Amino acid sequence: MKRNGLRALGLAACTVTLVSLIGFAAVDLNSIVANELIEEISKAAGLALVDSYTLKTVEELETLAASGRTPGIRLAADRALYIVTGEEMALFAKTNDELLALANAGDHDAADMYMFKIRTRFVKPTQVEEFLLTVTSDAVARAAGKLLGGFYVPGSPIGAKTEAELIALAKNGESLGLRVAAATALTAIWIESKPLTIDQTRSAILGVTLQYPELAYAYQGYLAYLFSI
Amino acid sequence: MKNVLILAGLLVACSLTALGQGYATMPADALVFPVGVAGTVYEDMELGVRGGTLNYANITDPKAWNNHTAKETSTTHYTGRMHRGMLNLDHISGAIVPDFAKSYDISDDGLVVTFYLRQGIKWSDGVEITADDVLFTYNDVILNEDVDCNARAGQRLPDGTYPLMEKVDDYTVKVTLSTIYRPILNSLSFNLMPKHKLAQSVHKLNPSVPAGTFNQTWTLDTPLSELVGNGPWIVTDYQVNTGVTMTRNPYYYGYDPAGTQLPYYDKIYVHIVANQDVSLLKYRNGEIDVFALRPTDIPILLPDSGRKDYTVAITDKAGYGTTWICPNQDIGLADGTNAEKRELYRNVKFRQALAYLLDKDTMIENVLNGLGTAQWTGLSVPSPFYAGRDIYGGPITDNDSVIYEYDLAKATALLDEIGVVDKDGDGWRDLPSGAPLVMELNTNDNTVRVAYSLIIQDDFRAAKLNCNFQVIDFNTLVNQLLGGTGDIILLGLTGGDEPNSGKNVQTSCGNLHAFRFSACDDPDEVDLRIDELMDLGANTFDLDAAFAYYKEYQRLLAQQLGYIYLCQQTFQYTYYNYVGNANMASPISTPAGDNGLLSELCFDKRL
Repeated sequence: MKRNGLRALGLAACTVTLVSLIGFAAVDLNSIVANELIEEISKAAGLALVDSYTLKTVEELETLAASGRTPGIRLAADRALYIVTGEEMALFAKTNDELLALANAGDHDAADMYMFKIRTRFVKPTQVEEFLLTVTSDAVARAAGKLLGGFYVPGSPIGAKTEAELIALAKNGESLGLRVAAATALTAIWIESKPLTIDQTRSAILGVTLQYPELAYAYQGYLAYLFSI
Repeated sequence: MKNVLILAGLLVACSLTALGQGYATMPADALVFPVGVAGTVYEDMELGVRGGTLNYANITDPKAWNNHTAKETSTTHYTGRMHRGMLNLDHISGAIVPDFAKSYDISDDGLVVTFYLRQGIKWSDGVEITADDVLFTYNDVILNEDVDCNARAGQRLPDGTYPLMEKVDDYTVKVTLSTIYRPILNSLSFNLMPKHKLAQSVHKLNPSVPAGTFNQTWTLDTPLSELVGNGPWIVTDYQVNTGVTMTRNPYYYGYDPAGTQLPYYDKIYVHIVANQDVSLLKYRNGEIDVFALRPTDIPILLPDSGRKDYTVAITDKAGYGTTWICPNQDIGLADGTNAEKRELYRNVKFRQALAYLLDKDTMIENVLNGLGTAQWTGLSVPSPFYAGRDIYGGPITDNDSVIYEYDLAKATALLDEIGVVDKDGDGWRDLPSGAPLVMELNTNDNTVRVAYSLIIQDDFRAAKLNCNFQVIDFNTLVNQLLGGTGDIILLGLTGGDEPNSGKNVQTSCGNLHAFRFSACDDPDEVDLRIDELMDLGANTFDLDAAFAYYKEYQRLLAQQLGYIYLCQQTFQYTYYNYVGNANMASPISTPAGDNGLLSELCFDKRL
């Protein structure tokens, strides 16, 4: 009994510590997500809050996803909802045509799943680039861009680009898909190299958000990572 | 050590196994893995901590739990973790090393091998393991004609006899050979089975049970509490189509240098999923810890590797194993149907035509994203005996390999020559008699194999060969292959460095000689020469001489085209960085769902 009692106490102590740590982090991010005016920074905070949002009820999440006060809150709720409702497997069960129809109607998750399911058609980055020329939906273009970013990222056996090439492409790529591809790869590079602090990244976002939204998107992904570590 | 069919798909009793309490202290004869010890192949590994569950996914339910009747990786994936032998293939070096035997010696003439077993080691239920278990496994299971055993073919010596295994005492076993047998250590690395649990199922030991009873022992209907092993893991729960739980064997004799008993993980949970894409989604979501990725997964996974803290390891190491199509040369033999198709499939010119229609460059380029190698024969490309080399262990030159590059013109010329032409003008080639020729190509729900199949179907059709393609359940496919009822099956086999390990596949009476089982009773000249070459290669310690025999053997396989080989992807894997020692995954082990990990040495760094 004595031993069990000690174990129970130990568990309680750990739980208190854990709650405190989560609470500290959440307050900080919640403040950002609630008050930040720059969309990319708000969304970065939102992305870093997704895990804690999964503790909310589906009803709460639906409300926040639809009418949360900031883009970050809406994004956090939307991503958390995607997880807690198991929507990924529901999408996976759909046919490619069904997914494409949803994607063309603006469903980004369906677009991502569509590209996931047809990705074996693309064994070279040039094939995705050619595919992008045929895409008319922004959701599909973004999803294809994310896949293409996987070819562009350093370490890829085929198609890897340098950071400078990617920055140029994220700024001036001819299509949304190409710019998203570059942004996807840039985020991955920065997460590896950690070139900027949180404050520097916020400044970088401020500098590009209006002129180069996809480059800002790349910084958003990196900032979300910084917020989460 | 035998080739087995590679992975890919009953209500079963689920209960806790009768696991014992474990050793009070580290046994004096424990097997200590030199984890982190400089100068050993384990020096780059880290000492771990115990606890946690390792999660990964497989796409097929097991067929049974019986190690020595299993021929498919859907089963051996589990039995290979529940059982260990006197010797084992070292995961890192690829060498045969002592395992349950603490040492062995070989007489100067190579004809006597004496094994000194570990003392005080127990089965998972707490019963001591002795020489009696070794002799039971060898003499009463593996060499027992009443048992449908995958390992028997590899035991047959070049003079047609089998090694004589005798008990010297409870902890010493002597094996006497009538002739030199170079791969004897490979052959004697069979997994051990517990006599106290299984002797009653062996007809020769217990005549009250019918012959063949052992083949129906430790099936999926067996209560899991009956399963006993000496390996690091014991299956303790199985939910059909859902998952298999393996729990640390409290009596496993592997330890690390710090005296920590292995495995480090408390459990392994194998998620049984519909296909590899579901595995990939689970991996991305962090539901599984390691994943045997395909080349087409690389662009999906790479961008998130830093954010999610996983490693995508892209290597240029050629993978072990083979992938092939197998036209069933015995089709209809059992029920007296398909006589003309059978005759056609037995015509080597027809099989050559099919070989010329296999566009391996396109498969490598379009399915493996360039990360693969063509296979021309039945031995894994990394093997030092691989026929594409000029000398034993030399570089691959393919100087005198028998190669069938994709060539539609050659294929159609061969088909025309043997009278397989379109006789009724419907656009498809017919059998020589004029009857329609329709080929059924089947594989399991493995995206790489499916992609290969679609390319093959297209190329067959381009040659006006009417080919239907269908995906069917893995275990059903295995049953078709082994039952001789399939048409053309696309599957794979595990592989290793030692050609003799393919004896159960390539010799005429091998139990995976699935392209023509009837060769056992009716071998042709080529079959007989292959059988002879396998014996000659095994009957010498001169590696150069053995290489020459095995090269001829492989050239004959390529000319014979029983299994018609395709491509093998290079070794790629991915793991979350919190899985300690996952970086030591090896293509030596079959890269199934667990990525070729040495699971007993992996651990959870988060603990």
